[in-house]
Amino acid sequence: MKKTPFHKLTPRAIRVWQLGNAVGNLFFFGIPLVYTGVFGMSGFHFWVVAGSTTVIFILWLLSIVLFPYLSWKRWRYSVDSNEIDLKRGVLVHTRTLIPLSRVQHVDTRQGPFLRWYKLATVTISTAATTHEIPALDEVIADRVRNKISTYARLAEEDV
Amino acid sequence: MSEFQRQHPVAAISRALGLIRGNLITILVFLFVGASSDEFNLLWFIGGGFGFLLVLGLANWWRFLYKIEEGELHIRSGIFVRKNLYLTKDRIQVIDITSGIIQRMFGLVKLDIQTAGSSSREAAIEAVTLERAKEINRLLRDSSDSNGNGEVEGVAGDIEQQEQEFKQEIALPGKELLIAASTSGSFGIALSILATLFSQIEPVISQSELFEYLFGLLPSQSDVLLIISVILIFVIFAWLLSFFSTLFSFGDFLLRITDKELVISRGIFEKKRITVPYNRLQAIHVAEGMIRQPLGYASLHLESAGYGDEKGTGSIVLFPLIHRKKILALLDDVFPDYTKEMEGIRPPKRSLRRYLFRSAFIVTTITAGLYWLLELNNWIWILPALSLVWGWLKYKDAAAAWGRDLLILRSRAFSKTTAYIKKNRVQDVSLSQSWIQRFRRLCTIQVHVASGDQGKSFTVRELDLDEAYLLVKELKGGVSMNELLREQEENVRWIALPGWPRQATN
Repeated sequence: MKKTPFHKLTPRAIRVWQLGNAVGNLFFFGIPLVYTGVFGMSGFHFWVVAGSTTVIFILWLLSIVLFPYLSWKRWRYSVDSNEIDLKRGVLVHTRTLIPLSRVQHVDTRQGPFLRWYKLATVTISTAATTHEIPALDEVIADRVRNKISTYARLAEEDV
Repeated sequence: MSEFQRQHPVAAISRALGLIRGNLITILVFLFVGASSDEFNLLWFIGGGFGFLLVLGLANWWRFLYKIEEGELHIRSGIFVRKNLYLTKDRIQVIDITSGIIQRMFGLVKLDIQTAGSSSREAAIEAVTLERAKEINRLLRDSSDSNGNGEVEGVAGDIEQQEQEFKQEIALPGKELLIAASTSGSFGIALSILATLFSQIEPVISQSELFEYLFGLLPSQSDVLLIISVILIFVIFAWLLSFFSTLFSFGDFLLRITDKELVISRGIFEKKRITVPYNRLQAIHVAEGMIRQPLGYASLHLESAGYGDEKGTGSIVLFPLIHRKKILALLDDVFPDYTKEMEGIRPPKRSLRRYLFRSAFIVTTITAGLYWLLELNNWIWILPALSLVWGWLKYKDAAAAWGRDLLILRSRAFSKTTAYIKKNRVQDVSLSQSWIQRFRRLCTIQVHVASGDQGKSFTVRELDLDEAYLLVKELKGGVSMNELLREQEENVRWIALPGWPRQATN
């Protein structure tokens, strides 16, 4: 169905996601904490707290060890002069086509973690939606962004 | 007009009311939460709130300046952060002059200035005198006449300027208006507003004799009956509320068509007028609600880019209620360049199971849980049965079709929605598969179009993977539907879309 090759993300993306999830998902431990604050730890409540903490801990570990890898493994993107094609999703596989004539602007973005690993996210906005190609190498991200913006200019039509 | 001007002071009031309307849900939540605490004084709260909003409105009015210089509208606004907005007249697409209740009380009008971008919502002048409005019109309009899309028209009622020729005018008949009002979907909203009000009044009532009186009316009846009758009263009130709100907002409905744009005006007390240039049109969709469909009625909507209401969506009611026999005739009149009927594909038989499961799963689980916990009557099992019927309806109604330049997607959430999308208006298309769908070679297709300054999506679930791929390929400018037709001539899943009978032209 497609002639232009699909590219994968940099393997370093896995590291960034691991770090991001490790820090970001700590938030969920707040749920049993708040529960303890409200109901205490005695009797029945102890089991609720213990159970939920265990489940959250296991999910937290998975979100560090497994999910970033699976997500990286699924991610593919390709850009040609007609459209941007994105494949992603671990449980739900999604494939998105964005005609280049619909692209309104492209950005590259870097949070602190991404900057640390010399990565950047390319954000593609249409009149309706915003899509991301996450965690590309800085240099490649710039190249992809420039490529998209050049193609988009060529494909210019009215809204 | 080359000096900065202020609006009419009435703008402060209309701004304050606009703030209330925009934050209605937040206010309701506050009232709801507040009602449960004892130290909450309703009058103080409401009075203080109104005072605050009025001050805010006044400040906004004081800091809002506009001027027109050399064909450029310059608006300077914002209380703390000063914002300068410049609109050149050849960028202005439409200027709507409308008048709400407040404006009409003082003989003023409101100017809505639309451009292609999302800045349009800020470019509204809330309250000016009619002469001023006409002057602004004239100044912003002079040379833009040459490129044709800067037309300015007058408004409803007394302000009407008969300078524009409408090709056709379609009004909403009284009977249809009444049906629309009585089957309106704003029912739920009305119910929640009533519930909030009730939570406020409840302490007052329970202290009065009214409750004892009600108990007296239902002697020897159980509490259940009382609860049921209270709920019934609620529902009736909510229905009345939604009935009248629809009646007032869609009364005097008139759809007018010119070569370049659609002009929709509606409202009895508060006149609304929306101009949609054809080149802003992104999609048309026909919604057949659960109650309206059996009666044979539907409502027509459209998505427009750039035009945003307060929430920023570009969904506009094109026609509030129409009999299914007249849908095609009306669409033919208004959108002659859209192909209305096509051959389409349905989800394959194997997807019925998925539809049923998805609809019934949650309902059944909850019902089972409640049944077990509360020891409910066996009649409660009617709910899962209904959800199965619902799932079957969703399966039956899902379909997709595509022609040379057009896409038709049909699906049902509660109401059955048939969407017409020009292919060159598609912003993106996604095809997704959950792991169960992968197992069954099914997939979900989702198409985004622009709407206001956001997007609107149309989804069809559980299509055959290969057929959905053909659709995606087609959007890339590949195969036509005919190829698929040739491939699968034997296929029984071909259905004709959209399936409304075409009445002989009246």
